[in-house]
Amino acid sequence: MRRLRIITLPYLVWMVVLVLVPTLLILLLSVTNLDIYNIGPFSFVTEGFEELTKPLVITAMKNSVRLSLLATLICFLIGYPTAYFLANLKTSKKTMLITLFILPVWSNMLLRIIAWETLFFPNSILNMFGISLNLIGTDVAILIGMTSMYLPFMTLPLYSVLEKMDHSLIEASKDLGASNMQTFLKVTLPLSLSGVVSGVIMTLLPSMTAFALPERLSGGKTLLIGNIIEDYFMKTSNINGGAMISIALMVVIIVLFMVVVHFDKEGETLI
Amino acid sequence: MGTKLVEISGLTKSFDDVEVLKDIHLYINENEFVTLLGPSGCGKTTLLRLIAGFEYADAGVITFDGRVLEELPPNKRAINTVFQKYALFPHLNVYENIAFGLKMKKMPKEDINKEVTSVLKLVKLEGFEGRNIKTLSGGQQQRVAIARAVVNKPKLLLLDEPLGALDLKLRQEMQYELKEMQRALGISFVFVTHDQEEALTMSDTVVVMNDGIIQQIGTPIDIYNEPENRFTANFIGESNIIDGVMHKDFLVEFEGVMFECVDEGFDQLENVDIVIRPEDIELKIDAGKINGVVDAITFKGVHYEIIVMVNDKEYIIHSTDPKEVGDKVSLHFEPEDIHVMVKSNA
Ligand SMILES: Nc1ncnc2c1ncn2[C@@H]1O[C@H](COP(=O)(O)OP(=O)(O)OP(=O)(O)O)[C@@H](O)[C@H]1O
Ligand SMILES: [Mg+2]
Repeated sequence: MRRLRIITLPYLVWMVVLVLVPTLLILLLSVTNLDIYNIGPFSFVTEGFEELTKPLVITAMKNSVRLSLLATLICFLIGYPTAYFLANLKTSKKTMLITLFILPVWSNMLLRIIAWETLFFPNSILNMFGISLNLIGTDVAILIGMTSMYLPFMTLPLYSVLEKMDHSLIEASKDLGASNMQTFLKVTLPLSLSGVVSGVIMTLLPSMTAFALPERLSGGKTLLIGNIIEDYFMKTSNINGGAMISIALMVVIIVLFMVVVHFDKEGETLI
Repeated sequence: MGTKLVEISGLTKSFDDVEVLKDIHLYINENEFVTLLGPSGCGKTTLLRLIAGFEYADAGVITFDGRVLEELPPNKRAINTVFQKYALFPHLNVYENIAFGLKMKKMPKEDINKEVTSVLKLVKLEGFEGRNIKTLSGGQQQRVAIARAVVNKPKLLLLDEPLGALDLKLRQEMQYELKEMQRALGISFVFVTHDQEEALTMSDTVVVMNDGIIQQIGTPIDIYNEPENRFTANFIGESNIIDGVMHKDFLVEFEGVMFECVDEGFDQLENVDIVIRPEDIELKIDAGKINGVVDAITFKGVHYEIIVMVNDKEYIIHSTDPKEVGDKVSLHFEPEDIHVMVKSNA
């Protein structure tokens, strides 16, 4: 036990300094009149709560939840078959294919967002092929963007559980009379549930908090909650309101996670 | 017994250019208990996997119940397997594991309940219904694996070393239970084992395999008493295998002495292998046709194992009558205890 504590010390310091303290600060900012011009004595205020009832904020929150869940679903629908295919490959090319799959993650995300943005304008390099997309500002643009950014985060945890899965269990299932579909539903899917939960969390979290991505791809038409928070802090300097919305976002995410983790009986996921 | 349930002909299987099964011919009757016996890596599991449908043969045909099996995927075959490594579903408890096959058959819930309860009793795991698979001991897991397969009452049950993880007493009980089950349900069993005693006590037919080749097929008594070659003689029980020469029918020479025997049909002066079982040799103190000196003696529970050196060669003798190391003895046996076999190349 003592040894364990010493090993975990750096992590604990990290968590306290970079997660716990900032979170508490945000919590403090959300209910006080502290801001950039007032870091001295403060008093508690309740204006922050009023921000949460503003139609703009509510719409943005709804957009974020809707688009994030959709993007997560799309990532799952693409990621699961991909991971299944990769995990069942018999060749030595496996490692190479997976590396190829993760490769995009190594390039700057903002760069990739801008790349999509230029393709989504009516005038783009795609005109060469007689294609003119006009997607900026649509949900489709944001969903394509999110899916392409976060797909590897869905696929990798799925791959790692499917890869480790004992193939003889699938044989046992067929031996007992289950068809391919029944085997998938009764054996493969339940056994990969921990990977599904990890993947969903890894996709949902960045989608819910995204702000650069919707800003570039929505052309200002679809506001997500990340954009609102950015505006509050950076443009209007409404620290109190921004902090309150951040806290609200955190609550929404925690609720979503609790729903997800509820499906993970074994508790073998990342959290 | 009677009609053939499974017919295997000319079955050949290679993995990466290595022939693992070579031209296997075998049939299994209805309600027959067939044991595959052979050393590790000889292809027993591979043969079972071909019958179950998890591998495809390079050549040859398996028919089951009059149908060529190749057309049928594993889930459509009335065959169930007890896997060597159990392959129990870790996300399901004991009850759900056993009920899996019945659920696939869409059996009504109450019937499933009845079947599972009775099979749990059979494998002595009453009260384990709700247990997590991961909390079971190896022997308990093995019994769940047996129950999960048996409960489906297949026409053919494939068992890949199903008793390997059990202690002697439970093993003997389960041997008895399995044998009873096979008789009562009228199921054919293909039973894989390393353990020759298990093979001899349980089977109607023993198939001795080595290196992907069937060495001998026969009843336990045939296999034990009339091994067809050196491998079988060596693998089944302990044996003394001696080089000999067949002079004419019923007359064989070994250790420089002529012996009467019961074998015939060999060429004149054909080189042969002679097998004499350790329990068939009697030791006497006075001089005889074959003489030697006692080299070692070990107590084995029921009998003594006595090693006698004859012309620099070891003979193993099982006897209830102890001797002293250094005793000069002679070896005696009856003509019917001398088993003459065609010389193996090995
Ligand atoms: N999928 C495979 N790929 C390559 N080689 C294999 C494969 N399966 C089995 N083999 C080889 O085939 C041979 C026979 O294997 P098999 O599992 O049938 O042996 P076995 O008689 O069941 O042995 P044991 O008693 O140890 O279980 C072995 O040499 C094994 O290495
Ligand atoms: Mg095996």
